[in-house]
This record gives sequence, C-alpha cells and structure tokens, in this order.
Amino acid sequence: MTTIALSRSASRTPSSNRVLATFRLHFVNYETVVVLPWLIMAFIFFVNWMIWWMITRSLTSATDLADAREGFGWSGAMFFIFVYMMVVAVQAVNLTFPLAQGYGVTRRDFYLGTSLAFVMLAVAFSLVLTVLAFVEEATDGWGVGGSMFTLNYFGGDVWYERLWMFLVVFLFFFFIGAATAAIYVRWHTKGMYAFFAVLGLLVIGSAAVATLTRSWPAVGDWFVATGVEGLVLWSLVPTAASAVFGWLILRRATPRE
Amino acid sequence: MNTVIEVAGLSKRFGGFTAIDDVSIAIEENSITGLLGRNGAGKTTMMQLLTGQEFRSSGSIRVFGEDPVENSGVLARTCFVKESQKYPDDYKPVHVFRSAPWFFPNWDAGFAERLVADFRLPLTRRIKKLSRGQLSAIGVIVGLASRAPLTFFDEPYLGLDAVARQTFYDRLLEDYAEHPRTVVLSTHLIDEVSDLLEHVVVIDEGRIVIDGSAEELRDSASTVAGARTAVDAFVAGRRVLHREELGGLASVTVGRLDAADRKAASAAGLELAGVSLQQLVIRTTTTDTSEGRRSA
Repeated sequence: MTTIALSRSASRTPSSNRVLATFRLHFVNYETVVVLPWLIMAFIFFVNWMIWWMITRSLTSATDLADAREGFGWSGAMFFIFVYMMVVAVQAVNLTFPLAQGYGVTRRDFYLGTSLAFVMLAVAFSLVLTVLAFVEEATDGWGVGGSMFTLNYFGGDVWYERLWMFLVVFLFFFFIGAATAAIYVRWHTKGMYAFFAVLGLLVIGSAAVATLTRSWPAVGDWFVATGVEGLVLWSLVPTAASAVFGWLILRRATPRE
Repeated sequence: MNTVIEVAGLSKRFGGFTAIDDVSIAIEENSITGLLGRNGAGKTTMMQLLTGQEFRSSGSIRVFGEDPVENSGVLARTCFVKESQKYPDDYKPVHVFRSAPWFFPNWDAGFAERLVADFRLPLTRRIKKLSRGQLSAIGVIVGLASRAPLTFFDEPYLGLDAVARQTFYDRLLEDYAEHPRTVVLSTHLIDEVSDLLEHVVVIDEGRIVIDGSAEELRDSASTVAGARTAVDAFVAGRRVLHREELGGLASVTVGRLDAADRKAASAAGLELAGVSLQQLVIRTTTTDTSEGRRSA
C-alpha cells in the first residue's frame, strides 16, 4: 500500500484562493449585505427629510429656525447601519462559517477572508457616508438644513477625519459582532451566559471601584477631555482585542447544530 | 492500492463521553465505502474528524497522507456537506450553487443543473422554507457536482422520497464510473445501498465492529434453520450472532461457513440462507456481548 502524495495538488490550490473565495462567499447574496441596508438608509433619509421640511416650513422666526437646525445635528438616524453590520458579522460567523467548513475551508482561511470582507465593507461604506456628508454640507442640509451624515458628535471638517471616524466605528461593530458570535459557535449557550455574566460583572465592578475611590468626577472629566474623537480612537483597543480573541476562539471551534 | 484515509488508534472524547473509541481503519482510493451504524454510533463525529472539523483526543489521522486539521491542501480536495448543514438565513439554493464552484476546482455546473432538474429543487426559494427532502437535495447536489477527490455524504437523503433516492444512487454510480473518486457514505438505509458499496465499515458506540469488503461480508454470516436439536448440534462451538426459536424449530445466525460446513449442514437436514448486509449490521450492533463487539 502506498499513500498518495499531496504536494503536487497542494501547490496547485494555494490557500490564498480560499481566502478570496471566502471573501466572495460573504457577498454571494449581496442584497442582504449591501442593497438592503442602503435601501433602509434611503427610506430613513426620506422620512427625515420630510420632517426637516415640515419643521422648517412651519417656523418663521430666524432664531427658532437656528434652534431647529442645531437640533437636527443631534440625529442618530444613520446609526442603525452600524448595528446592521454587527448583525452581518454575527451571521457571518454563526452561519457562513459552518457552510465554509462544509466547503472544506480551514478556519484560518475563513477568518482571513471574513476579516477582509469586514474591512472592505467598512472602507466602502465609510467612503459613501463621507461623500454623503459633503453633499449634505454643499446642499445646505439637502435644501432644508437637515443633517443625517454631518453630526455634532463626530465633528471633523477634513474629509479624511470624517472617513476615519466612520471607518473606526464600523470596524468596532464588525469585530465585536464576530468575536461574540465566535464565543457562541465554540461554547454555545453556556458560552453566551458566561460571556454576558463576565461582562456584567466587569461593568458593575468598575462602577463599584469608581464609587469606592470617589473617582466618578475624574471619570466624567476623562470623558469630557477625551471627547468623541478620542473615544472613537480608544475604541480601537476593544476592536483589536476582539479581532485577536475572535481568531483564538474560532481556531478551535467546531460548528454543531 | 493507494490509501486515501488512514486512521490509527483514534479516539474522541466529549467530557466523560467517548464518541470514538480507539478506531483504526484504512480507506482506499476510488472506492465507495459505507459507514454504517445506529443513531449516535459516532458516524458524523468520525466524518467531522476526517475533515478537520472536530479535533481528535488521541490517535492519528492521515488524509491524502497528511493531518487534515487546518490543512488547506487536504481540505481543498474534500467535500463534506452534512445532513445537518447550516446555511445563512437569507440563502436560496441558487446562492449555494453560485458559491460552491469557488471552492471546488472540479465543479461541473452542467451536472449540477441536471441534478437540480432531477430533484425538482426550487432554486429561488429561501432555504429556510424548503422541505427536509429539498434541503437534503442541496447537499446531495453539492456532493455530486463538486467531484471532490474525497467526498463524504452524511445521511445524504433524509426526507428524500424513494424516486429521489434512486436518482441519487443512479447519478452517483454513473458519475463515479466516469470520474472515479473516493466516496464515504453514512446511512441507515443499508439494504438500499448495499449493492453500491465496495467497502463496509460498521461503527457501534464509537468502535468499529465490522470493517471489510462488501463481497467478503456477504458470505461472512449465514442463517441455519431446522429442528432445534439438529441446529444446536450444528452450531455448538460456533460464534452465534443471533438466535430465534419457535416451538421445536430454531433459526440461528452464525459466522462464515466453509464448504465442509455447508455439506454437514445439508446432511443434517438444515436449511442455509445468506444474511443481508442490513441483517448483519443489526445482528452485530444489537448484541451487547464483548464477543459481538470483536466480530469483524
């Protein structure tokens, strides 16, 4: 008996092919990942625009109008897309991973291809949001002083600052979603209980420490001093940690029903 | 003969439960092997171990001469669509058949199309809304059209009707003749596939109880029937796999009989009958004696 040598065929199918194939796998049904979220965005925009239009039409004094415009800037209308992308990430790990395993993809190739898909989506969507923000400015808030893409919290006037903020927030939601789903795929319901129990204890523990050391004012000062831009930057720490832990968890995970 | 799968002393434990217990088997290239056994016997776990989806507890696994775990070169040549395969919520069959060719270099789109027609699979209905049989058809089509050098079918036809099952057997044999490859098939419907199989592995409670060529197995057991006293005299000292009695008559399943045995049996006025593969599996997986365990 001889054993078939693999080397010839192994070199014929390098795993970079399978990383790219996994990347494509996330877009095979692009309606869910790309079309639907932007249709929702368009609908929300339309409803918001109607509201801006009605408010600005009904206000006559200049000070009221200025007040209203200031208020429009505190909108959270486009935040859903970040949560939507977190759900995309959860589904990618929870459901696309088992399919990729059936297709004979290694966990490593799957994780690389999936991360590539997340980064690509984050970059593409951030670019679109940045462009929309500039259009919003150029058209004086879509003709009615509204704001959905230039928000008071994000600030930034330079295009790359805006792009950077959107990008970092997208990456945060993608990798938090992927890591949480990886815990589920590996340890199932028990893993979820343990994860949220630990998370809850950490939050309540931190609060207790802050209370005991009477450092709540310092905490508040830190948030004020750091600002939204600083906080977004700090989010890179949990994002990077999620990306690393997501891999460490998934590399020993087995999809089960 | 080339060996595609070589497993030695393989065990898989989940906590205190031993799913696979010291298994050693070898499967040759370009053969159809039946992996048979009862529910929970370890068939799916075995296939998951062979495709690197599960991690072994001890022992060694060689697929195409290498450890399959996280081995792109090995896994790129295998296809394993489980009976319980999960698909993304929003997927329709069309998404599976569009993406599968990216992963299987030998994918035959024309063959996949013919199979879709054969199984009358609606391509644009959400997978979640398909019937159990239609869900199975997706796995069967991927398994066949991928033409992976090593293809695993795990209970491939759960919910498929008799016509669809026959279609599966026919297409598998036709395609296998034209494109030889190594197929491992797990199933409960043993009689239906017994003509298909060249090699049979029966697993029970994580152990291999039968491992042999289908041909060998066909005459590895016989049933001796007749007057109880005559049957008892004949089977004395033989390994008894199964025994049924009715009044003064007895029917006993014993191991292999040689020409002299057969002559002796007919001289004693006993009737001899072959034992079907399904009967053999039932006999070997219901006995809980250590003797039954060792039979192979």
